[in-house]
Amino acid sequence: MRKLIRFATDYANYVLKGGKQFYAWMATLAVFIVAMLYVFYLQNTEGLIVTGMTSQIHEGLYFANLVFLVGVAAGAVTIVFPAYVYHHEGMHKVSVLGEMLAITAVIMVMMFVFAHMGRPDRLWHMIPPWGIYSLSSMLGWDVLVLTGYLILNIICGFYYLWCKYTGNPINKRWFIPLVFVAIAWALSIHTVTAFLIATMPARPMWHHTVMPIRFIATAFAAGPALIILIFLIIRKTTKFWIDDSAIQLLSTIVTWCLGIAIFLTLSEVVIELYARTEHANGLYYLMFGLHGLTRLVPWFWSAVVLMVGAFILFLTPAVRNNMKLLSIACAMAFTGIWIEKGMGLIVPGFIPSPIGEVTEYYPSFVEWLMTLGIWAFGFFVLTILLKGAIGILLGDIKFGGQTAVAK
Amino acid sequence: MKKIAIFTVALALCGGALYTAFALEKAQEETALAQAAQEAKEPQVCFESRKGSSEVTQREIQPGLPNVKCSPTTGAALWYGDPFDGTVPMGKMPGLEQLPEGHAVVRPRSEKLAILPMCGTACHNGVGPTANPPNLPKDKRPTAIPVMESLVPDVKDLQHGRGRIWCLDCHHTTKRDKLVDHFGDPISFDQPQLLCGKCHGDKLRDWRDGIHGKRIGEFASDGKKRWFTCTECHNPHNVQDGERNRGFIQLQPEPPPQLPNGMKDARHELVHPVAH
Amino acid sequence: MTPAQPPSIDSGQTESPSAATPASANPATYAPAPAAPQTSRRSFLKAGGMLSLSSLMGTAALMTQSDDAHAAAEWAEHFQKNYRLMTDQEKLEARVRLERRYSAEYGKPVSVDITGPQPGVLMGYALNIRKCIGCRRCVHACVAENNQSRGTRPGEKIEWIQVLRMERGKFEAEKMDHGYPEGLGIQVGGNAYTPAGQVLEGQFHYNPEAVPEKDATYMPIACMQCEKPPCVKVCPVRTTYREGDGPVVIDYNWCIGCRMCMGACPYWARRINVTTPVLPKAEMNPVTHYLGNRPRMRGVVEKCHWCLQRTRHGRYPACVEVCPVGARKFGNLLDPESEVSKVLERKNVFRLKADLNTFPKFFYFYD
Repeated sequence: MRKLIRFATDYANYVLKGGKQFYAWMATLAVFIVAMLYVFYLQNTEGLIVTGMTSQIHEGLYFANLVFLVGVAAGAVTIVFPAYVYHHEGMHKVSVLGEMLAITAVIMVMMFVFAHMGRPDRLWHMIPPWGIYSLSSMLGWDVLVLTGYLILNIICGFYYLWCKYTGNPINKRWFIPLVFVAIAWALSIHTVTAFLIATMPARPMWHHTVMPIRFIATAFAAGPALIILIFLIIRKTTKFWIDDSAIQLLSTIVTWCLGIAIFLTLSEVVIELYARTEHANGLYYLMFGLHGLTRLVPWFWSAVVLMVGAFILFLTPAVRNNMKLLSIACAMAFTGIWIEKGMGLIVPGFIPSPIGEVTEYYPSFVEWLMTLGIWAFGFFVLTILLKGAIGILLGDIKFGGQTAVAK
Repeated sequence: MKKIAIFTVALALCGGALYTAFALEKAQEETALAQAAQEAKEPQVCFESRKGSSEVTQREIQPGLPNVKCSPTTGAALWYGDPFDGTVPMGKMPGLEQLPEGHAVVRPRSEKLAILPMCGTACHNGVGPTANPPNLPKDKRPTAIPVMESLVPDVKDLQHGRGRIWCLDCHHTTKRDKLVDHFGDPISFDQPQLLCGKCHGDKLRDWRDGIHGKRIGEFASDGKKRWFTCTECHNPHNVQDGERNRGFIQLQPEPPPQLPNGMKDARHELVHPVAH
Repeated sequence: MTPAQPPSIDSGQTESPSAATPASANPATYAPAPAAPQTSRRSFLKAGGMLSLSSLMGTAALMTQSDDAHAAAEWAEHFQKNYRLMTDQEKLEARVRLERRYSAEYGKPVSVDITGPQPGVLMGYALNIRKCIGCRRCVHACVAENNQSRGTRPGEKIEWIQVLRMERGKFEAEKMDHGYPEGLGIQVGGNAYTPAGQVLEGQFHYNPEAVPEKDATYMPIACMQCEKPPCVKVCPVRTTYREGDGPVVIDYNWCIGCRMCMGACPYWARRINVTTPVLPKAEMNPVTHYLGNRPRMRGVVEKCHWCLQRTRHGRYPACVEVCPVGARKFGNLLDPESEVSKVLERKNVFRLKADLNTFPKFFYFYD
């Protein structure tokens, strides 16, 4: 028990101390977080009228980010999987960082859930024994798998760190099976999120079988792309060195998953637009606009440019092996998928509405602020988690040892 | 000559009386609308199915609960708190005998038709100039009667039957405040369905079963209902409503829904048709 | 006209000032209200316990907030269960609480009905699309009856019925070369394209001088009260469900506002209250049902429920009563003599979007 308290205090001490750059970064994030808290208050006193969501388009930025971030959480498995299944040396060293990213992403997803709800004060209605859990609801399943994934990652990640901290050997008899459960679970969270929207025949834009695999493909492109970026930043700002082999493996994963994602998108375009039924109207609206309403067209084409451009860059060895250029390609892929899977997938599902009404979605300032704030909160949490984890991996935080001050 | 003079005077008097009565009805309608338009404290009167056929006056049946709500836009009855306001039992109706006593009620039509009481007394009362009406028609050939045409403007261009029927196919020859059935027996103006069913048997059957026309009140098949009779919804003299030919007169619609967030109008498909 | 039983709480601790008046003076209640539940000694004690608990909560509310019944009621509402899991006693308490709060809020006696499904009744609806003239009286009758929000800001005005305008279309010789398809020129000519029998987008906003227009037909839609409702399936908290007599209802106090049901509904029948509904006191309909038209709160979803507050007591829904052409028919599907059964027996009937297997109990017919 005393050990545990020591762990917590050592961890906190290490994490809270930092240079000017660190404090400036955290303070900037804190400003956004405060703004987010204010708009959250606004949303829960004024109601959703302060957002751009309507009865026609009732899922917007929040839901888009939610879906995307579930993908990022699932994408963390691209580190854990090669590390434990293929015993990739470079990956194994950093797998705990992937788990920290997954924890952060799931927390962000939950915050977006809170932002999305009309009555967040009643969320306990979903949680037994006080509330009712509905097995028939995909949202219920989604909450279940997300909570499970969060718990799994906290256990796996912090147990690993705990062992490193105390210097005890890892108890592989339960740890390794748990890691494998977490790997399968990562697939489940994103599959269920895809089911969440694909199981609605009322929304033909989403109602097709390719949705889960498309979700997985984009997740395994966006997730590792973000991880590469984070790794590059870590390499630059800390003493912790991440092997090139790990980054290269990740960029290979990004390449092929991005390729598959583009292929699936193209297939959908051909199949939907060849027959051009009423059911294709959502996609048509997204690509070309419908009845003169074209707000999402630039979003879609910028996503296409970003994704295809990133894919070409990833295919070029000169770029793949140049860490500077690689970061550009990763940023492009990440942004492209954020658009394609967020605004580009969620919003046109509501356009036209089931009775054929074409309306447009105008995200309000409140929504942007909330979204920014939650992302800021995510980076805040991620910074703390990664800093602590790196401290332990470096041996800066050690049981009985002197707590070193991070850079 | 004297005979003709007396006849003319009588006719003129009769016409005048009828015209006044008719004008009164018109005026009532207009004031009702005017009242509906302004949200005054005075009792609102709203028209029910079609304009000019029947009206309800608003009153409170319980604190904060009116018997009827009227549309501020069109003056139409929009909501019924008390569906049986001003109703009387329907009377004998073949095919509805199994309904419990008093469960079929109607708003009496005769009350609404302001000139009706005078038809049988002022002009067609059996006394007066030698013949009253001057000459009872010997057959059913249509004859233009200027007085009637001026009283009921719809008559001039009778749409009903496309020229194959005329007044006395529906109106009783001698009892002018009654309608007429196939045997020449009178039918009350409160039971126009008995008349209309003469030709529109399929509609009468559907009406009796509640799948044509309108009933309000209790939905159970043996529940108490106010039945809307044929003429409350259809104008018998103008059923085809000119070119439309659909049995129901055109009226002003209630206001459209709110435009969705950020939309200026709802015409974008008309302006930008689908590429196909 | 049997006066409805005023709700009573047997413990005698509470006097419900508003409870006695509204339900009994209610012209919409022709059928006898269900007998007040028999209370045993045990439930009596339990009720006492619950009451003291709720009074504790009330006290807490009084200490923290303003000193009106409103705060206490809201506080207690926060902790109540899903309506379906409430005991009869708890339903009565919720009813009394709401009646008191609404009566104070709207300045008139408000009744909150909790009548359940009546035995032998399965509600059904039929609409004659040949008759509809598109006058929208049903839309506004629904608003007058069901206490929807009437605000002016975007999203604050809620209507449950939409009257879609369908084009009659016109094929003309001059348009012979304008047909489908243009692009690749595989088949040119012989197709004077016209949007006949089609709902042009946005066309339920039509507003001509007079209806019916010569070039249009109309098709009103609202909740179809599906037998297999997709909205019920996706609800994560089971706050929306199908009642025994047909209608799909929402427990507004249990709804978390996640809007999954709105996404799942193929008929666009559901609306979200983006803000606290704007409901002027004078326009508020004081005859309400717990699962029906009682005033809603911010952030919850609402929809048509076939006027439960009326239909549970045998009254026609408001839209049926107000249709000037009698296009709307409502009745008990289990009664072969009812209007709906007769329509099904005699007329040509279809269900909207039958391909989705939702099995609406709302039928369209024509004659």
